[in-house]
Amino acid sequence: MGMLDAYIRRFLAVLRTEILVLPSRMAVVVFVLLLLALPLVTQDGYVLRVMILTAIFAILAASWDLLSGFTGQMNFGHALFFGVAAYVTALLNLELKFPPYLSIPLGAVGGVLTGLVVGIPCLRLKGSYLALTTLAFPIILLGLVFAFPGVTGGELGLSGLSRLTGSRTGDYYLITGLMLALGGVMWKITDSNTGIILHAIREDELAARAAGINTTRYKLLAFCLSGFFAGIAGGLYAHFLRLAGPSTLEVSLSFQVIIWAVFGGMVSIYGPIAGVFILNPLMEALRVVLERFPGLPEMRMFIFAGLVLVTLLFMPEGLVPWVRDKIETECPRCKIRNAFTRRRCRVCDAALD
Amino acid sequence: MKRHGWIWRVWLGLLLGLALAGTALAAEPIKIGVLGPMAFTQGEGHWNGASMAAEEINAAGGVKVGGVNRPIELVKVDTNEFLSIPDATNAAEMAISRHKVDFLVGGFRTEAVLVMQDIAMDAKKVFIGCGAAHPELCTRVTKDYDRYKYWFRLTPINSTYLGKVDFILLGTVAAIMKQTLGLEKLKVAIIAEKASWADPIVKAAETMLPEKMGMEVVGTWRPSPVAKDCTAELSAIQRAGAHIVFTTFSSSVGLTFAKQWGELKVPAAAVGINVESQKSGFWEATSGKGEYTLTVNTYARVKITDKTIPFYDKYLKLYKEAPNYTSGTYDALYILKEAVEKAGTTDSDKVVAQIEKHDGIGTAGREVFDKSHDITWAPGYVTSIGSQWQDGQMVCVWPINWEGVTYEGAVPYKLPPWVVEHWKK
Repeated sequence: MGMLDAYIRRFLAVLRTEILVLPSRMAVVVFVLLLLALPLVTQDGYVLRVMILTAIFAILAASWDLLSGFTGQMNFGHALFFGVAAYVTALLNLELKFPPYLSIPLGAVGGVLTGLVVGIPCLRLKGSYLALTTLAFPIILLGLVFAFPGVTGGELGLSGLSRLTGSRTGDYYLITGLMLALGGVMWKITDSNTGIILHAIREDELAARAAGINTTRYKLLAFCLSGFFAGIAGGLYAHFLRLAGPSTLEVSLSFQVIIWAVFGGMVSIYGPIAGVFILNPLMEALRVVLERFPGLPEMRMFIFAGLVLVTLLFMPEGLVPWVRDKIETECPRCKIRNAFTRRRCRVCDAALD
Repeated sequence: MKRHGWIWRVWLGLLLGLALAGTALAAEPIKIGVLGPMAFTQGEGHWNGASMAAEEINAAGGVKVGGVNRPIELVKVDTNEFLSIPDATNAAEMAISRHKVDFLVGGFRTEAVLVMQDIAMDAKKVFIGCGAAHPELCTRVTKDYDRYKYWFRLTPINSTYLGKVDFILLGTVAAIMKQTLGLEKLKVAIIAEKASWADPIVKAAETMLPEKMGMEVVGTWRPSPVAKDCTAELSAIQRAGAHIVFTTFSSSVGLTFAKQWGELKVPAAAVGINVESQKSGFWEATSGKGEYTLTVNTYARVKITDKTIPFYDKYLKLYKEAPNYTSGTYDALYILKEAVEKAGTTDSDKVVAQIEKHDGIGTAGREVFDKSHDITWAPGYVTSIGSQWQDGQMVCVWPINWEGVTYEGAVPYKLPPWVVEHWKK
């Protein structure tokens, strides 16, 4: 009993001193709670489907940020990892009858190997050259998919994969839970020593090398890690839709990932996740709203693009960093973040402007 | 007395309320979701065909279910399936769980339709496909009947049958050339866009033409589906001495090909599939150079059945465009109406049983579904047609005396004059 008391007291103390002091942390807690509570509020198959796909794409967008945001290796063909893993997962499930808990991680291993295959030749390239080369890979693979329809199913893709859990709510909790866990892991990676090195490579690769860091190895690591997380997303997607088709490799998906990440705010992991959680449901909300106006539903993509452009015009760093700067102030002395309502820093008591 | 009056009024109110509720119940519409890429011509076809049928059915009193006339309410569902498969699945799910549609019609891109089919089957909703031709969609019905029995394909005929019509058209033109030009052995050039759906047709053509049809294949050309220039292929075909060029196009290359073929006056008759030439804007788009192009088609202004010409004319009048095969949603709605009326309910299982028994005349022919819930293709059933552009008009040139089938209004196929001039002995 005493121990439980101590735990509760510790939890409350952490809540008071670490979470409630910063609006952004409160927002994260509220977001997690809302996500977990959603199926209690509605069992609407449509809402849950939209949120499940959103969670899958959130993992994908965050994995892009890990590679392109943090390490600066601009990847314009991120659908490659997603698509390869979706196909590997589908083949393992359909041909070898592997259950989802095996086929998805092995599909992600496929993503890692793809990361290696792409990473090794691309490491010599930088900037726009790298971006254009990465753009080519999924297109090459798409060609291969069409060239070997016996294995890949050609235009139809591979369909009839086994279900994840058998119920929509089960799928929702599994995928949302995984998204939160993997998002946390990615955020932790960026916060670790490895993350700092990746950051250093992006800022000044030469300086990082001069400091004795084997940047090649770390860049390859970033490709593999990113491939792994994107691969998990691809595997989940294939099992959830019960289809791995050529659309998983399309250029439009690669660009969609970049739009989500840039809109949410790069170099943060949580930015791209927020980006997907705003834009994807927004697209659906637009569908629902525009239905009431005849002739307008076809304008959905146009309105969507307009909204994204206008947002980025006023918030070039992305939405989340912009909001964060509005609701929090950085202490000029100790660089600790404070709620915008505070006049003095919560740690060093310096005056906040 | 005053108290009695009060009770009387309450009773009257209750009765009125019940009567109103009754009328509301009687007027409860049958909801049909129209799935399609609404920003594209294919989706417009889906929507226009369905709207026309719904208006007609509602004007005639609606669908009679168990003594009650229920109107049809259409739900426009933009699947955006060319650009995003998740979008398509969300749209289908929304139609079912939000709009609570009773039935679904439409769909175009096979990859998307496969997923939407699964969503519809999960919810046990009858889904009549009007757009995707791949046989796999109906193979699923044979493999797992209990799950997939709610799926039916109405238009177009599946790609295997499409291939058959394709070869029949080729054979017809070959016979005409032999007869009018006195040619012995015909040389055929195969040109197909570089897309996987065209692969089986190319493969079949390469073996069937020499082995079964007694023709020589002079070469195979595979331009990009979006090629803006086909002159290299066309000159090669001309140099190869082809009498016929066997086309397989579904994308914009069909337009480029037809225009340049007419401009260069390549002495080889163009026969096959060219989806671009099924559209009413084809003549303007090729500045008339696409004249004499022959393609497999679903609709033209010809009396396939008594319903075809009135449908064609009304559609053209309303939407300023000829109907294409996605407009088959028109027939789909009538099939649903009949099935619901016969079943006396909108219950999916009972409606499926009625659609399986359906044997009716639609705009594209006599419509009967086979065991795999695919539309039957045969003489006397849905045959599809061969349409050729002649003097600014899209006319039906096949079938004429094919297995005893001739459609009233069909006119003889015309060889391009420059082909006749070049090969006439």
